Amino acid sequence: MITILSSLVLVLFFQFIFFAWWWAMLIPLALGFFEKDSVSRATFGSGLGVAILWAAMGVFKWVSGGEIIVERIAAVMGVGSGVVLVLATSVIGFVIASLAGYAGFSLRKLLIKEYQIS
Amino acid sequence: MRLFKTVLAMVGLMGLFMVLNNNQGSIPPLAKFLNPFAGFWQNGTQQDDLPEVLDVKGLRDVVTVVWDERQVPHVFAANSYDVYFAQGYLTARHRLWQMEFQTHVAAGRVSEIVGAKAIEYDRLQRRRGMLMGAEQTLKMMRDDPESQIILQAYANGVNTWIDQLTPATLPLEYKLLNYEPEVWSTLKTALLLKYMVWDLTGRNSEMDLSIIRAALGADFVKAFYPDHTPLTDPVIPAGKPWRWDPLIPDEPAPDFEPQFVKELRAHEPDPDNGSNNWAVSGKKTRSGSPILANDPHLGLKLPSIWYEIQLNTPEMNVYGVSLPGSPAIIIGFNENIAWGLTNAASDVMDWFEIEFKDASYSEYLYMGEWVKAEHRIEEIVVNGGQTVMDTIPLTRFGPLVKYGEHQLENGHPVGLAMRWIAHDASDEMSAIHSINLASNSEEFFEALDRFDAPGQNFVFAAADGEIAIRHNGKFPLRAQDQGKFVRAGRDTTGEWRQFIPTEQLPVISNPWRGFVSSANQNPVGKKYPYYMGWEYDDYERGSRINEQLSDLDQISLEEMQRLQMDNFNKQAEKMLPFLLAQLNDVTPEQEEIINELKKWDYFSDPDSPQAWVYKQWWLHLERAIWDDDLDLFGEIRERPPRSVTARLLRDNSRLVYYDDINTPEREDRQAIINRAFKTAVNQLMEDLGPYGESWALGQARGTDINHLLSVKGLGRPGLRTGGGVGIVNATKKTHGPSWRMVVELGDEPRARGVYPGGQSGNPGSAFYDNAINDWVSGNYYDLYFLKSPAEAQPQKHSVTVLRNYQ
Repeated sequence: MITILSSLVLVLFFQFIFFAWWWAMLIPLALGFFEKDSVSRATFGSGLGVAILWAAMGVFKWVSGGEIIVERIAAVMGVGSGVVLVLATSVIGFVIASLAGYAGFSLRKLLIKEYQIS
Repeated sequence: MRLFKTVLAMVGLMGLFMVLNNNQGSIPPLAKFLNPFAGFWQNGTQQDDLPEVLDVKGLRDVVTVVWDERQVPHVFAANSYDVYFAQGYLTARHRLWQMEFQTHVAAGRVSEIVGAKAIEYDRLQRRRGMLMGAEQTLKMMRDDPESQIILQAYANGVNTWIDQLTPATLPLEYKLLNYEPEVWSTLKTALLLKYMVWDLTGRNSEMDLSIIRAALGADFVKAFYPDHTPLTDPVIPAGKPWRWDPLIPDEPAPDFEPQFVKELRAHEPDPDNGSNNWAVSGKKTRSGSPILANDPHLGLKLPSIWYEIQLNTPEMNVYGVSLPGSPAIIIGFNENIAWGLTNAASDVMDWFEIEFKDASYSEYLYMGEWVKAEHRIEEIVVNGGQTVMDTIPLTRFGPLVKYGEHQLENGHPVGLAMRWIAHDASDEMSAIHSINLASNSEEFFEALDRFDAPGQNFVFAAADGEIAIRHNGKFPLRAQDQGKFVRAGRDTTGEWRQFIPTEQLPVISNPWRGFVSSANQNPVGKKYPYYMGWEYDDYERGSRINEQLSDLDQISLEEMQRLQMDNFNKQAEKMLPFLLAQLNDVTPEQEEIINELKKWDYFSDPDSPQAWVYKQWWLHLERAIWDDDLDLFGEIRERPPRSVTARLLRDNSRLVYYDDINTPEREDRQAIINRAFKTAVNQLMEDLGPYGESWALGQARGTDINHLLSVKGLGRPGLRTGGGVGIVNATKKTHGPSWRMVVELGDEPRARGVYPGGQSGNPGSAFYDNAINDWVSGNYYDLYFLKSPAEAQPQKHSVTVLRNYQ
């Protein structure tokens, strides 16, 4: 739960510093690196955090002036509905963040082990 | 194992980054595009919000912008620098992607955005000399202090907007194509203006006519491609005497058969780029004041080609439509005058076959000597690929558009050069600025003297009661038929050595009939001493307009709106009864359709199935007569004008060309008319089912207004429209009236207008396509001509104050 919240809040926070989608990769990578115990927390926690954030922000933009653009982009993408766009946004966010979380976690395990050996 | 897993995860992560951060074919970079903080989700109607105060760097004084309910900005500035700065800033705010993309298209820089698929387009565009012409023009504009200020002010305004953009506020198309705007240079404005010259003068049939003449003989061309088409009522009434001594053009060049048999017609502008305009004198109007009307017919796209705006300074108050990317107002009105444009269609592009010494293309034959050809090197940058270099040999006959494929019997290679008016420096922006300021015909015509290209029929009306029209532009002084065929670029014949003096251009003021008009038809009758070209539009639109204007009296703005929307098909009126009388051996289903055609009132309204049947019948008939004969070197060449074909059909029952050379029988007129009818009707039945509503013009054809990139979902297809080719309402499938404007001058100008789109270029905006339904229905908006911001009405307007900050 903490990882989900951390991922969500930190990615949101950094968006206000600089608009870039890759915060959703960089922050879970860092969170995964600092996760000591659970690979699933590192992976799915970060993934869910970003998935929830991106879905919530997508819905917020949709209902606050995004009706026309959502309808048009749904037609451009051939998906028929804005709901699919929200889901796609959320899924992409989840995939990015969870893989980054996993990579961060793996990196830590590798480096920590090497450190212990040396 | 752990190392392997980690490496795999990191590589996977980097791979994912690359895939989601870059376009995959036509798929946008998904993570960038879907990211709700900066992706497409940010391009909603919140971008329509208009702030009360905007701090803008670079203004000299405060600028007040009054926005009306359609987001048309009415700009009030203290000086001309600020007014054009604000025009640049506000236009970019609404249309940045469109204006920048169009300059990439003009400059042959599309590959930089879309990659290798546009290399050939870019190469051709550069060889045409578009960039070269824009550079010449820019140099000229920079030499004029006033033009320089206007250009730079506009560019500064655009760049100020670009500087304020964030990844979130970037226009949608940049996100779709994954690139960013570059700095707006003054060259881009020059390019945009040259692009309009291309759109309106870039099509001609010299290659085709040379081929047709070689294959079918000079008599064929003379008979079927006349300089004056039947029934044409010229722009300047044919009886007008010309009271000046004409210049003597060079002797006509002898006939010449070029080596090139493949034509160069890729990426040519639409053949129906044209327009209607007219002005009616106060003698014929209800109010006693002159009325002017204009509707330019162009390719219909979203975002729209026009941007509506009012510009006000202490010296100027002007309203109309501008081209996004260019300062000032192209078509519009001020307190004293109104003006409108239609394409002149006179020939300003000639082709020459040039003989070179060898394959280095560095020396060519001219007046019996080898003359050096300069080489211009073009660098075509390709997104995701290697830069392509291209060499363009430059001759006194223009740049070599095509070379490297043919040689003469003596072994010398030949190339095809194009001499085009857009290669020359000309400052149309300055001319337009002067028109915006003009208060009478004298100032207006003085400004026109500096408007070289594209050649246009400028219609004019003034509050003092004057009306006028001038076939205006820089037109080469031609021998008869010079420019109708490809010439041998070996000597002075065919060279552009003189131009028609501006005081000898076709013009008329205050004619006795009480109106002036143009619809791209031949500007003059046979009495005019100069040959200016032959590819003018047929008589139908012009005749209909002139008949209506002659008949009407006590004219109001509403009547002029109705005339712009007029769907009467003059060609059908003339031809249909005759064609119907030729039909025989028809099936009961065909009989039913014939009966419906007999009941038709000749109005090509959206609900009319007859209009679509007639259109298809005529198309099949033209093809049946000409395509077997004009199928030369693998392509169907230019068919004769409609009116020529129509006259032949009525007057000649046994023309040899009626026969289809691909069939054993010998077809006569009746046979081909019957065959065309039956083929058309069978095809319609197959495509649309039995005769009925699905055949209605508005449904079977209608109009599609596509996005500039033809991205499905961003356009407005399937609009139920009427009109068509040869009809005053010249609406077609993807082409038509791009701005309809009617203006009544008097103590106060009263104007209405509409264009098929909206002020915003953002597909997520409420102002992207908000005017389209009204455009389809023929509804017009009142154009608020404000004299000061104080006239703004709270229920209709909002106000933004632009303040300078350092």
